[in-house]
Amino acid sequence: MTFLVLIFLLTLLPAQSTRSTYLPKSASNPVFGPWQVYGLLNGSVTITCFYPPTSVNRHDRKYWCRASATSCRTIVSTSGYVAAGYEGRASLIDYPESKHFEITISGLTKADAGNYQCGVGINDRGLSHKVSLVVSEGPHVPEGAELFYVELHSTLTMTCSFGEESASKRKFLCKLDRSGCHTIIDTYGNIDEDYTGRALLSSKDAEGSFSITITQMGWQDSGFYLCGFGAHGESGETKELDVHVYERNDVPQGKPTIIAVKGSSATFECHYAPIRSSSLKYWCKWKQNGCSRIVDSEGFVAPLYEGRVALYDNPVNKTFTIILNQLKDSDKGYYWCMTEDEKEQQSSNELKVIEGEPGLQGQEDVEAQVGSQVDLTCSYPCKYYSYQKYWCRWNSTGCTPLPASDQRHPGPDVSCDRDNKTVILSFDSVTKADQGWYWCGVTRNGRLGETMAVYLSVTEGQSDDHNLEIQNLDAPRGAEPPSQAEPGVNPQGRAFSDAGVQGAAGSESPAQSQGPNTLVLSLSLTGAVLLVLVTAFAVFKYRQLKRSDLVSVGSYRTNISMADFESVKGYAASNDACVKENDETQIGGDEFITTKVIPESSAETKKAKRSSREDADLAYSTFLLTSGTITQDGSRGGSAAPEVASPTREGQI
Amino acid sequence: SYDPRTAYPVLAGYPWYSEDKEHVLVNNKCQCVTVTSKLVPSKENPNEEVLERNIRIIVPLKARENISDPLSPLRTTFVYRMTELCRRCDPVEIELDGEIHQAQQSTFCDQPETCYTYNRDKCYTSTFPIRYQGETRKVQAALTPASCYAD
Repeated sequence: MTFLVLIFLLTLLPAQSTRSTYLPKSASNPVFGPWQVYGLLNGSVTITCFYPPTSVNRHDRKYWCRASATSCRTIVSTSGYVAAGYEGRASLIDYPESKHFEITISGLTKADAGNYQCGVGINDRGLSHKVSLVVSEGPHVPEGAELFYVELHSTLTMTCSFGEESASKRKFLCKLDRSGCHTIIDTYGNIDEDYTGRALLSSKDAEGSFSITITQMGWQDSGFYLCGFGAHGESGETKELDVHVYERNDVPQGKPTIIAVKGSSATFECHYAPIRSSSLKYWCKWKQNGCSRIVDSEGFVAPLYEGRVALYDNPVNKTFTIILNQLKDSDKGYYWCMTEDEKEQQSSNELKVIEGEPGLQGQEDVEAQVGSQVDLTCSYPCKYYSYQKYWCRWNSTGCTPLPASDQRHPGPDVSCDRDNKTVILSFDSVTKADQGWYWCGVTRNGRLGETMAVYLSVTEGQSDDHNLEIQNLDAPRGAEPPSQAEPGVNPQGRAFSDAGVQGAAGSESPAQSQGPNTLVLSLSLTGAVLLVLVTAFAVFKYRQLKRSDLVSVGSYRTNISMADFESVKGYAASNDACVKENDETQIGGDEFITTKVIPESSAETKKAKRSSREDADLAYSTFLLTSGTITQDGSRGGSAAPEVASPTREGQI
Repeated sequence: SYDPRTAYPVLAGYPWYSEDKEHVLVNNKCQCVTVTSKLVPSKENPNEEVLERNIRIIVPLKARENISDPLSPLRTTFVYRMTELCRRCDPVEIELDGEIHQAQQSTFCDQPETCYTYNRDKCYTSTFPIRYQGETRKVQAALTPASCYAD
């Protein structure tokens, strides 16, 4: 038996320090009010009683009754009843929207002191709160504690001000229990472990005034508190605060703890009051001495959180949502949603990071060259099959969704491949302006789910595109326009002159690579052919020029015979033969027959030709020779010579 | 030693009800049963603590057999079973792998529950014959008016 008890004790003991899933008995009485009120003789007193603002409570009867041993006898109620002896001096007013009702008793007498109950519904059913009324003669009466009625998991804000003398001293909040008042939080940095991460002490603008904010109010937070300055127990004023936590059964509660996987993302939802929807909202991480801001609704993002966090405001639902991705172990802690004006709407969540696989997976760092085609892929698991997936571009004011696939737009487009369960963001030609953070995310029923962040970096420089290479080589920057290229007419040694045509054609649209590629190819082929022809013609012309020079020289020399001219034509390649022939030209008869150097190639033809012309030349030259010597002889054989002597200059061209 | 009552006179007579550490295990509004538990010193050995369960049953003697029908006879038999009382059939939100799921903690939740008294958060109505201008009509009326408001 004792062994079982010991085991039971061991299992229960650690549980006492943490929050229990079972309500404490004190929680089962949701009606709350002051436990003691003080009134002056002949004066009046006002008692405020709180109740949970459920529909039935707001419409049900409220009553104030005097407790006795057996039952509680009604004095005044919302049914319209006023007990005898209290006419005109007891009133009860209900404020359903403010979740409380007020009882005012005036003309207090000594007989009025005693135990009373304020309650909801029917007397003696348990939905009531015991109040003790003390009537004193005065002149002063104690003020009584300030009442705070807060909903479970919501935020409590208490303000204490003591005047200027407390400005430099330690300020504290402590909770009363049977053994004394133990410090919850103070200005020296001490904090109770049950309140770590969910309590903040901040000094107000006025001297000696400070406020304490506690979020995630639990059942154990109900009770009596003291706020003051100095060390508690010593001199120094204190203020009593009576706190009660209630639960609403009809409204679903938010999640106090958010558990997320490392590397994945977490979504935080914060609610705020409808009136102040335009005030500044921000999200911060709780630290020992304050709360460091991470992101706010005006576009501020802490430098360490670039690309990781986004704040979405939804004034319609009166919520703002924060998404934090690329989670690390160091992200665990308490995060507060703060609004500048409405302190009641501040809330906090605890984030726990656990090991595991993120749902959305993909490459997290992508590098691309300017102008190239880039695909950012994001693969999702089966559980997101029915969710809506999206890609968005991150900036400091949020993440703007990228529009759906549109073929006309030159920008990136989003497509989803259902079979492979991937969402793809495509860039046809990425530019430097596209560099930055992109998020892939899922959403369902308007609620934002998991996200994954990708950083796209765009670099300048060498392009892999072959089309651009050809352009760079063939068309220098500022190449001549195609109209000036005249292939073949002026061969000035520039073989690239027709490249101007293909360069211009290729530089029309670098984006469209397919068409100009073939065009340039064909142009380059024709250019090469033309090149070859031009070169051939140039060389040929050059040779002709050379030959025409010889021909013109030969026409002036009358000594050269027709045979010489003949031989020159045949021996185009060898100058030696011509030179030799000229040099060896001897006037005389013997040389014409045998001593000439004749190339073998045209030896036979030469002989044939020479036979006819040689005779004529022979005749003429002998005539010339002999004419000089026998000018006295008379004219002999000169009739035939002069006609033959003038060689016709119809060279073959 | 330190006595909070003298140090803080405001607390003289303060009911330290929140200090009892008594937890509610069952709060069955249908049968009006609450079960709470707390640690108390053992009777055999006062140095040890044992778990004590307090069961509070309020029997509505003037309840009808069918609480939705005021004309049914008075109920004379009341049956309370701990297994039925400890059943938790309300769906609870639990977190698995970052996803919220609604889970039911007990089995046999499909069995209809016979209630002995009204649940304050539910609206109970019944039809009554009303004779008006010689005509008898069935009119629906609320048995628990405060619970039957729309807002």
